[in-house]
Amino acid sequence: MLGIKEIASYLPGKRVSNYDKKEKFDLDDDFIENKIGVKYHALKEENEKSSDLAVKAFENLTKKMSIDKELIDCCIVVTQNPDFNIPHTSAIVHGKLEFSNDCACFDISLGCSGYIYGLSNIIAFMKSNNLKNGLLFTSDPYSEIINHNDKNTDLIFGDGATVTYISKDALYIPKAFSFGTNGKAYREILCDKNLFMNGRAVFNFTATTIPKHIQKLLSDNSLEDKDIDKYILHQGSKYIVETIRKRLKVDEVKVPFDMYEYGNTVSSAVPIILEKELYDNHKRLLLSAYGIGLSWGSAILEKNSN
Amino acid sequence: MKTTVENIKEVIVEADVLGDVDEMKSDVPLSEQGIDSLDIVNVYLLLEEKFEVSIPDEDLEQVKTIDDIVTYINNKLA
Repeated sequence: MLGIKEIASYLPGKRVSNYDKKEKFDLDDDFIENKIGVKYHALKEENEKSSDLAVKAFENLTKKMSIDKELIDCCIVVTQNPDFNIPHTSAIVHGKLEFSNDCACFDISLGCSGYIYGLSNIIAFMKSNNLKNGLLFTSDPYSEIINHNDKNTDLIFGDGATVTYISKDALYIPKAFSFGTNGKAYREILCDKNLFMNGRAVFNFTATTIPKHIQKLLSDNSLEDKDIDKYILHQGSKYIVETIRKRLKVDEVKVPFDMYEYGNTVSSAVPIILEKELYDNHKRLLLSAYGIGLSWGSAILEKNSN
Repeated sequence: MKTTVENIKEVIVEADVLGDVDEMKSDVPLSEQGIDSLDIVNVYLLLEEKFEVSIPDEDLEQVKTIDDIVTYINNKLA
């Protein structure tokens, strides 16, 4: 069964402090640490593109496992900040990493929910085309689209990328997925020239839609909270993660929060946390991601017993 | 049944805000009593859910204090 064999991430070393924005946005430490949950944002170099961050994530993957590039037969990049409008960023990543010409490449244009959609897509695509060794990248450098005078976005987002190795000798196998969209609300997170986010609308969406969506995914699969070892939720903000957790009535220890030092990395947020949980002794994990679209997706992963 | 200041304070408690809600003044904006911008959107959501009313963005100027909220919800439910 195809599943997740390994994950690596790349967070740029440069950091921007939210403490330096306290006066500009009239903030206190409690708001930065306990409400937003972002002390520092990871910031890429100005000349770095999505593909560069993805390549650096791949370099980190090669430090964790031996990879024969000739055997990579599928490469998908999830991004909404591609290097160019044309071509797709996955082709650029393919070229930079010198993968074989027999490798299928395409992009997925999704934001926060992108990793879950990407995971379902890459596994289905590899299965239907008998592919063996796939790479799912997430890379969305939001520093390129932030308006630094907008409190709703300037305090939250950070740059980052991840890569997930998909193969049959996997650590975790996805057992179920569930997806949703509310396209009538697409304007609530929108980028024309700069990113705009209606904080109230996004909060209401995540607080009302996501707990019910997660509960339905569990019940559809005859599972209860006791069957889930960890809930890996999209790190929109600490307040949003906590609100969903409280509404689900899930114990705090089962919901990791970890964006204090680098910010909301959009489609990379879930795999960055999942990377840290991969070798812990979990039987079953629930992933859930939500945002731009408005779009949401969740997955149940089970430890591969083979 | 009319909504009261106490009903609104119960919702604010449910929003898990910092501070003693019993000590809050009903005629002073919530934002001036330690309820930050994130807590306020949570309070508005809980009010919408509890009283089954909609508080659109354009009405937010009308619901700054607890007294404002009581009046607003009672008018909506009338």
